[in-house]
Amino acid sequence: MDFRGLTVDDLSSVMELESSVFVSDAWSSESMRSEIESPNNFYLGLFEDGLIGYAGLSTIPGSFSSDIQTIAVSSAARGRGIGRALMQELLRKAKAQGSEQVLLEVRIDNEVAISLYASLGFERIDVRKRYYQPDNVDAVIMRLRITQPLVLGIESTCDETGVGIVRGNRLLANALHSSMDEHSKYGGVVPEVAARAHLEAIAPTLNKALAEAGVQMKDIDAIAVANGPGLAGALMVGIGAAKGLALANDKPIYAVNHLIGHVGADVLERGYVQLPTIALLVSGGHTSLLLVRDLLGDAVLLGETIDDAAGEAFDKVARVLGLPYPGGPQIDKLAATGDPKAIRFPRGLSLPKDMEKHRYDFSFSGLKTAVARYVEKAEADGETINPADVAASFREAVVDVLLTKALNACAEFGVDRLLLGGGVVANARLREVAQQRCEAAGIELRIPRFSLCTDNGAMIASLGAQLVMSGHAPSSLGFGAESTLEVTVVQSP
Amino acid sequence: MLLAIDTSAGTSVAVLNTNVLAMATFDDPFGHAENVGIAIAEAMTKAGVTASEITAVAIGRGPAPYTGLRVGMAAGLAFAQARGIPTYGVMVLDAVAHSMSTPKLLLHADAKRKEVFVAGYESGVRTFGPAVMQPEELESFAGYEKVQAVCDASMVGLFTLDQLAKGADLNDLSALYLRSPDVSPSPGKRVSG
Repeated sequence: MDFRGLTVDDLSSVMELESSVFVSDAWSSESMRSEIESPNNFYLGLFEDGLIGYAGLSTIPGSFSSDIQTIAVSSAARGRGIGRALMQELLRKAKAQGSEQVLLEVRIDNEVAISLYASLGFERIDVRKRYYQPDNVDAVIMRLRITQPLVLGIESTCDETGVGIVRGNRLLANALHSSMDEHSKYGGVVPEVAARAHLEAIAPTLNKALAEAGVQMKDIDAIAVANGPGLAGALMVGIGAAKGLALANDKPIYAVNHLIGHVGADVLERGYVQLPTIALLVSGGHTSLLLVRDLLGDAVLLGETIDDAAGEAFDKVARVLGLPYPGGPQIDKLAATGDPKAIRFPRGLSLPKDMEKHRYDFSFSGLKTAVARYVEKAEADGETINPADVAASFREAVVDVLLTKALNACAEFGVDRLLLGGGVVANARLREVAQQRCEAAGIELRIPRFSLCTDNGAMIASLGAQLVMSGHAPSSLGFGAESTLEVTVVQSP
Repeated sequence: MLLAIDTSAGTSVAVLNTNVLAMATFDDPFGHAENVGIAIAEAMTKAGVTASEITAVAIGRGPAPYTGLRVGMAAGLAFAQARGIPTYGVMVLDAVAHSMSTPKLLLHADAKRKEVFVAGYESGVRTFGPAVMQPEELESFAGYEKVQAVCDASMVGLFTLDQLAKGADLNDLSALYLRSPDVSPSPGKRVSG
């Protein structure tokens, strides 16, 4: 016996079984086709020398609720627990999708089915009179409640100490302590300063998150922690704390990938993340372009920066212009009154020759140098520059190259979705141009709220919760910090 | 039941009631993040206690190399917070001195960057430090027996029990770095000229 997801290629064998099982009220072939084809549905078949049973689950994204659409077992194969096995698979799927309840309707005269559902935990909640026609039979509405796991996540990859709490795909708390101000006098994140700040912030941030969620530590079902990529010394503080928490209450621990966490943050915005998607993650530490087909199992790094991260370039250019750290908001403000076309700064790795080796990679070091040269030359020549024009032109160069490559990836991989994440998403021009270009290209643009875009503990908790809901085993207690963790490793063993 | 955690040298965790019931130690001077959880679990298992029986946590606050030190401190703070039990902070050289009976003792430990952490004791009472200095400077402490200190969780635990019995204050839970982060504000450099 073999389970497998059904496609329209299976339509004829499904219809053969459908009309033999539901003689008087079988679905039409057209209805069945659209059921199987719907992206919200999951149809599962059981094969043994051909199809002997199938069942369908429907989950409207963001509804936190699933419906059993149908279930059929060939008369010859009954009495072998096949209906139960199909149901269990669908319930597993519903749980993994974050559903908090599963609903179904069943003929009131089908006692065998009703008792099967009851044994799986379904409760009778309503009766719909004469629901099944033409037989004029009532339907019993049954519901299974699913308690999704309460997961606490810790983020300490860079300069933000984040503790988030989720229940399944719902956000309960997102507490944050940033050491950004302590780095400002250095013009960038200093790893030792960040690590010290994490140790001081971890206990208060934990308390804040628990209070915000209104839960106690003993209620937490699992702990998640970002173990990379990031600054080693900073990561280790989060890992130490996560292990302490897990052991204190004998809870499982999940070591998860920070970058995949960013992609999954959208789950907390609307209850699910629509896949496949191209994800552009831009911050002071990362500039990465990903193709994500499955959050927990299929993410590919298409390209990343080969030198400075985009956020770092903003900080460095801000410094050239005599603006304080962090540079992003400062440049954004100054650029608002500048002409983005005043100076044509270079677009890194965008020449035809770069398209082979660095098609989706980024480089901002040359751009930063070009801006510095421009300013220094003007100074040397005794000319005054227009800082607003420099800021606007620099910002335009960054935004242009980021979005050109991201939209190229959408086109090349046939993915009509783009997700933005990372602190640079706060940049007004990036959001504006992303909206314009995505609209023109017919691409759905997703930008989670800012507190879920910057580094945060909630996205780590969320990724941990998805691993729990999908039945993944916890990580071992012996994992460490992985500064250069690859995006293909969603969870460290 | 006291859980003592120290990552000032390797990674070690001890469980104590009035004495040391069990200790789990990893000598690896790195690998604190990897080992700290295993050490806590192992020490509790060896001692035959569960986390719910632990009533307090003691952590070594250093001075010690920073990266490893923080791992044990973070684990201890989080463990205590999760159970709602008190945490006590211990200056690790005090814990080592407590385990010895040398009349005039000068403890030193590697501080990286060719420096050492130092504390001096007379009849068990700290008279100097903790401080960070060049190894040559140890010579100026005449009459002291100079010992390279290697702390472990049993020392931290026993010292904690001793101090609590004497009514000492172990509430300072900040890390003892003794040096500012090794960084200075840079004015930014020119790219041309």
